Amino acid sequence: MAEISKPMAWNGEGSIGASINRRQVSLFDPRHRSLHNLIHSRPSMLPTLNLTGDVILAEHLSHRFGKIGLGDIVLVRSPTDPTRMVTKRVLGLEGHKLSFSADPLVGDGSVSVVVPKGHVWIQGDNLYASTDSRNFGPVPYSLVEGKALLRVWPPRFFGSLR
Amino acid sequence: MGIQTLIWQVTKKAFTGGIIGLTISDRFCSVVPVRGDSMFPTFNPQRDSYLDDYVLVDKFCLKDYKFARGDVVVFSSPTHYRERYIKRIVGMPGEWISSTEDVIRVPEGHCWVEGDNKASSLDSRTFGPIPLGLIGGRVTRVVWPPQRLSKIGG
Repeated sequence: MAEISKPMAWNGEGSIGASINRRQVSLFDPRHRSLHNLIHSRPSMLPTLNLTGDVILAEHLSHRFGKIGLGDIVLVRSPTDPTRMVTKRVLGLEGHKLSFSADPLVGDGSVSVVVPKGHVWIQGDNLYASTDSRNFGPVPYSLVEGKALLRVWPPRFFGSLR
Repeated sequence: MGIQTLIWQVTKKAFTGGIIGLTISDRFCSVVPVRGDSMFPTFNPQRDSYLDDYVLVDKFCLKDYKFARGDVVVFSSPTHYRERYIKRIVGMPGEWISSTEDVIRVPEGHCWVEGDNKASSLDSRTFGPIPLGLIGGRVTRVVWPPQRLSKIGG
């Protein structure tokens, strides 16, 4: 995914990063920027984020303080491929009990699960086209690396992601 | 007036130094202490906490997440996100690990970690395979105490 850097100069640890670092980092390593724009163009988050590439502003600080809540859209390092980041919504925190349909295309069989300690349950908004916790289970909280704040492109949809 | 500019100069230099240090520690390598004896005798062979080993953790491996069986890694705990552990990778994705009752296959994108001191180690035998994304670096050397300066692994 291409990354566009915004002129704000905070790096992932909460201190002011030199602009030299950010330029090198922005193409290869989105891990440590505190605030950045992200282009999302997969169908797993329809209808919230659409197919033609919405750009959202994400921040990388609140997960360090444990401030990820239910319903937040988060950037998570994929548990099946650590070089990829996925964007999903948090639908369960530790201790929560969830019920989901094992395969939404094939009827009603529903599965109940309790989210274990230190984990979160993430799901894409588009249940039919999303590989998420229904496939790979709850993910450890440390894999959460960012929270989406708002959509910045296209401009007519600028604003919050509800 | 002189004192104020002096304080300002010192603050600016400290701030810059801090950022550079933080960037290096984040992206290249950092030094962390090893607590506990789950990696005995590789680390902390003396069992006295004031003689804890300090190790160099290399962060270049996080670019592509290329690890191998036998690497000693630092990773965030899957159950307590603020804690970090140091253990050895004994199973890479696709490999089979035998535990007491059965044989477990390490899933894609995960690894099986165990401490060298099996008797006293909280590791994958308790919390299962961990996603590779939890890993925060690979231990390459012991840097303190000076008589234990050494390279880890091949």
